[in-house]
Amino acid sequence: MRQKQIAAPPGFREAIIAFSVAGFNFAISAAAVSEIRGLEGLQSFAPGGEYDCPDSVRYTMHRNGARYFVVDAARQFHLPPSGAKPQPSRVMILRLAATAVLVDSTDRMAEISVLHALPQAFSGEERKWYRGLAMFGDDVVPVVNHLSFLSGSNLAALRSAALQLRGVAAV
Amino acid sequence: MIAEPGSFVLFPLGEKRFALPAEIVTELARPGRLQSFPHRTPLMLGVLARRGRIVPVFDIARILVGPDAPSGRFYLIANRQFETCRESTAIPVTGECALASCVPDFPGSELPEYVTGVLSVGTETIEVVDIERLIALEDPA
Repeated sequence: MRQKQIAAPPGFREAIIAFSVAGFNFAISAAAVSEIRGLEGLQSFAPGGEYDCPDSVRYTMHRNGARYFVVDAARQFHLPPSGAKPQPSRVMILRLAATAVLVDSTDRMAEISVLHALPQAFSGEERKWYRGLAMFGDDVVPVVNHLSFLSGSNLAALRSAALQLRGVAAV
Repeated sequence: MIAEPGSFVLFPLGEKRFALPAEIVTELARPGRLQSFPHRTPLMLGVLARRGRIVPVFDIARILVGPDAPSGRFYLIANRQFETCRESTAIPVTGECALASCVPDFPGSELPEYVTGVLSVGTETIEVVDIERLIALEDPA
């Protein structure tokens, strides 16, 4: 059996948003993103080690009365700090989760008709990070799994930490 | 162990040559554009886009000849068998490859566990490499 393409119905089309982090290009399903914003409104979030929060979350933001935990995509993908490269300038707020993602830039929207399965040879964390690979001409771009940024237990830990921090701040 | 003659693809990595069983090798490809994205798989260099397919590239030279291995000029494309599918893998090699029909020797346990035999070609001794075992050394998962 040969390398698989993820089964898609005839005429399959998916809108994706291309974005970049630390010099790497990625894509995310447009249906998973509710809004793309600048960095205004980011609030520093430092819960300390006792909450078992993912260390990729350094900020929160509020939108329409809801709090979002902002995942630094560079930390999520274990990429070195940007340094001289482009610094994060955009936040993608995800739909149906209290999660937002800090990225260097969002580049364009596009449509894909095929999502290639991540080759089995990839055996690390990337199997959770990516839904598959998209090809634009000869360019290969990983399509991120938006559910992998923060799990349910991550969000529970973050919410607990945020509540505690708010309580401390109020005392 | 008495061995049958077999076909092997001999490939160079710097000064040394190694061999793969010919039945798993599909082609020798010209240098392509290696593309990378974040991942955590040991030895993985990135992927090549080839005829609409995505082929992962493994740097096995790092294990076979060490960290100072010269960079590859071509890609040897071989098949790997996974639980649910067979998949192409590209291996950077440093020069032209050759096909040889030889009877492998099995000199015993002093060779690394990823070497499944040795071939004698002229005065040269060439190790036959099991890619699966070699990659498993770095990536036990």
